[in-house]
Amino acid sequence: MIKSTPVIEVTDLCKTYYMPGGMSQSVLKQINFSVSAGEFVAIMGHSGSGKSTLMNILGCLDRPTGGVYKLDGMAVSDKTDSELAHIRGREIGFVFQNFNLLMKRSIADNVSLPLIYQGVSERDRYERAVQMLHKVQLDGYQDRLPTQISGGMQQRVAIARALINNPKIIFADEPTGNLDSITSDEIMNLFTDLNKQGITIVLVTHEDDVADYAKRMIKIDDGKKVYDGPRSKYNGKDAPY
Amino acid sequence: MRTFLTMLGIMIGVAAVVMMVAAGQTVQNEITKTFDSMGTNLIIIGPAETVSGGVRGGRGRPSVSFDDVESLKSLKDVETASYVVSADAQAVYESNNYGVNIYGTTPDFLIVNNWEIDQGIMFTERDFKAGKPYIVIGQTIVNELFGLQNPVGKTLRLKGQPFTVIGTLKEKGDGLMGNDQDNIIMMPATTLRQRIRGSYRPKYTDIAFVKVTEEDKMEAVANRIEYQLRARHRLKEGADNDFMVRLMTDMVEKVRSVGFILSALLAAIASISLVVGSIGIMNMMLVSVTERTREIGTRKALGAPNRWIMFQFLTESILISFIGSFIGMLLGVALSQIGGQILDKEVPISIWSVIISVSVAVVVGVASGLMPAIKAMKLDPIEALRYQ
Repeated sequence: MIKSTPVIEVTDLCKTYYMPGGMSQSVLKQINFSVSAGEFVAIMGHSGSGKSTLMNILGCLDRPTGGVYKLDGMAVSDKTDSELAHIRGREIGFVFQNFNLLMKRSIADNVSLPLIYQGVSERDRYERAVQMLHKVQLDGYQDRLPTQISGGMQQRVAIARALINNPKIIFADEPTGNLDSITSDEIMNLFTDLNKQGITIVLVTHEDDVADYAKRMIKIDDGKKVYDGPRSKYNGKDAPY
Repeated sequence: MRTFLTMLGIMIGVAAVVMMVAAGQTVQNEITKTFDSMGTNLIIIGPAETVSGGVRGGRGRPSVSFDDVESLKSLKDVETASYVVSADAQAVYESNNYGVNIYGTTPDFLIVNNWEIDQGIMFTERDFKAGKPYIVIGQTIVNELFGLQNPVGKTLRLKGQPFTVIGTLKEKGDGLMGNDQDNIIMMPATTLRQRIRGSYRPKYTDIAFVKVTEEDKMEAVANRIEYQLRARHRLKEGADNDFMVRLMTDMVEKVRSVGFILSALLAAIASISLVVGSIGIMNMMLVSVTERTREIGTRKALGAPNRWIMFQFLTESILISFIGSFIGMLLGVALSQIGGQILDKEVPISIWSVIISVSVAVVVGVASGLMPAIKAMKLDPIEALRYQ
């Protein structure tokens, strides 16, 4: 699958933490891959494998210590903090394991939160929040508080929030980790629908049945990529492809 | 709730500063008013302080005679001069009696001290020379002895001797030391000497006053007085003065500076509470940053620039300190006015104390909000998102 510009292009990506006393720990070692527009990728790995660190770098929350990361053709490694914030606000949507909604704000406020930092007027924010809530089948909930709805609904609010800035890509970090299996299926079906509409999704999980929704799988173990290919062909053996 | 309590700290601080400064100002004003009523271009001559073995021993023997004072009247730039010889006595009128202060003085006493006659007249130079038993009485004595009767023309007794009331003084209120300035009977000094003291002591004054024509001639006149009195007392060169010359302007300055120090001290004490209030803001904002770590992380992940996070917290502390100091200012002004009403004193609100205390509160509030705001700004979004 070769396409014009990959949304994500990672070359020799390294992340090393230097600790006081000269000790250092390599969390990511020479990772290479690219993600094209419209893909649905699951990044898998045990806890401590480095998948969360990879996710933070891909989500522009952290910087690599080596290698090149290009988001939509743009090198991210040498950006300043505020430039990264700008990129996060416009190019990326986040869905977190624990939703991270502001509990004292209305659902509409929560959904439209990223737009505040882009200077969108309050009225436009509200309108766009209502549109996004429609996409996640939460029509009519805009004026409620997050505390008044179930966990599955809260995650759908978080997904609407991730969608509101028309991002190039959505990163979902264990989005079903706090949900029961039925609600998890609902959320994953929602992601599948969004992917069918052409939105690129990168999912981080350690659960196999959640990963099954993805078309492609990247497995990380001990900071190295050990599998990259179609999810359906993964045979459970961590052999280099 | 927590915000309100923090605001309360600032409120109390500002209110305290405004009130304390107002209190200090009131004291200063009262002092100034009292001095103004006496007139500031006044030179006071009293007995020298006795000094024995390096220890000051209060007033020495009276040394300035009636004639000394009379001689001062002819000095250049002197408007007039007067003096007082005092005594205490029981004043008796019919069945009433009252303890009074008696001032034996000259007709010019009224001019020198800016006192005014209410009813009747003051005794004259002629009455003075003749040692007539005429008296002018203060309002306290009018009330205590005569009640609603008109005292002018009545006769009252002092030390068994009859005196005719020829006038009354206008009410003056309490003096600086809380003494009753209206409990006074004035009579010619000659009369007092002959009839009350009944002594053949020389005609010495307890205290003398010289009124100067213009305030900037005070120093010059004081020097002339000193020269004149030394000559009259035949003091040898190098000998200490046996009298003391004081300028009213100097005394006013002294008392004013005491008043000013008092105001400053009160304000300093009050500003401690202002500082405590602002520490309250810092404390609350720090707690708030910790509590909202996850929110900060979320906002950052969703594209909030660091500046934006900082301003969010800074705005909060500015708002708290601004609203708090504004309410505190109103509170301080209101309370000091109510206090003024109760004490029946005019309480001036210095616009500067208000401006300075409010702006100090706002500046300190912002400064104490800055540290927590920077802390929030510097939070690592990854760490912040993981925070429970």
